Amino acid sequence: MASLGELERAVMDRLWAADGPVAATVLRDELADRGLALTTVHTVLTRLESKGFVRHDDARPRRFAAVATREEHAAELMHEVLGQAADRQAVLARFIGSATAGEAAMLRALLADSD
Amino acid sequence: MLPLTAVCLGVLAALLAWPVPAALARARWTRQDPLAALVCWQAVGLAGGLSIIGALLVHGLSPWGHSLPEAWWHWVSRRPAEEMVRGDHWVAQTLAAVLALELLGVLLLSLVRTARTRARHRELLELLVGPATDVEARVLDSPVPAAFCIPGARPLLVLSSGMVSELDADQLAAVVAHERAHLRERHHLLLLPFVAWRAALPVLPAADRAHDAVRDLVEMRADDVALRELTSPAPRRTLAEAIVAAAEGGAPHGALAVNGGPLAQRVTRLLDPPAELPAWGRPTALASAVALLLVPTALLLAPALL
Repeated sequence: MASLGELERAVMDRLWAADGPVAATVLRDELADRGLALTTVHTVLTRLESKGFVRHDDARPRRFAAVATREEHAAELMHEVLGQAADRQAVLARFIGSATAGEAAMLRALLADSD
Repeated sequence: MLPLTAVCLGVLAALLAWPVPAALARARWTRQDPLAALVCWQAVGLAGGLSIIGALLVHGLSPWGHSLPEAWWHWVSRRPAEEMVRGDHWVAQTLAAVLALELLGVLLLSLVRTARTRARHRELLELLVGPATDVEARVLDSPVPAAFCIPGARPLLVLSSGMVSELDADQLAAVVAHERAHLRERHHLLLLPFVAWRAALPVLPAADRAHDAVRDLVEMRADDVALRELTSPAPRRTLAEAIVAAAEGGAPHGALAVNGGPLAQRVTRLLDPPAELPAWGRPTALASAVALLLVPTALLLAPALL
């Protein structure tokens, strides 16, 4: 039995790959190799909705879509990690903070000097 | 009456609010032994809070007894004061309570907020990036070179695809070792009180300096730990190259030049390592840290001076 996290990732991958909103039955069929029950698909979708990654429309049956693209989520995360955002101490352990172009050039000079 | 105890604690608090952190931030030996310096910073922070709140409390409760434990007990058991209670006693009590609540409250709030942000980042990461094929790190699809870790019960170590393409294998190993050192030594916990107290005490310039110093020391410490693990022929140079390459890739264009900063310090320290501290250096630093904590504790618990 796959973990919920892995199922969530699989469902998100389908939603990101889809052209538009997708019904839960379609997702179940697309993930047929996992042998998921429709209720399991709904559970995963509800979890994703509560986390703010998925929304559904009012069609009958409801159809689900990703709130943002994979790239948008990656960009959001990078923006928070690299500073400017308020909560950057949350990921204290960045390898480097944000360097300016001038600083980077100076660092390169330091490296060249020590050759 | 406990006036002398209160005065001593007040003097200690004043020293720890400005001259001591300023001196520690300026000290050169901290680069030679970041770990001992980090311990000293924790002691400065803790002893500073203890002595300022202690000074106010000792003065505020002085009409109730001859030592703080005695006065405190009399006060909570609602015994009448032995001496006249003046307005300044009430003011000191109130200030002590407000300060204690603020420092602890901000620390708690900071903990909660950070935990929530981390949980959100973890959720995002688990959706965006599958478990790494090699156990070292997850790779996030982004052109900006970045490496970071999310501390916690299930720590995550993340490299951006930009970082992976910018660095060679040895340099990447250096970056991963650096981040793993942060996680293993729980550096986020060392930094947390200073992040919180900088937010709590914006009027205190020392809080700012302390935070920056601790942040830089934590990076130096992680560099030191990483160096011990690296197997490349010149680990110091490899790690320095990794820092420079990552800085170049992530630098926004057209930004102003700066002539120094923590990154330059780190690179210089790697390429031109400072001499080791003499053998007595670390024990002295650690003993000072312990003494710094013992002094206010003793003043608070011991019977009133004079």
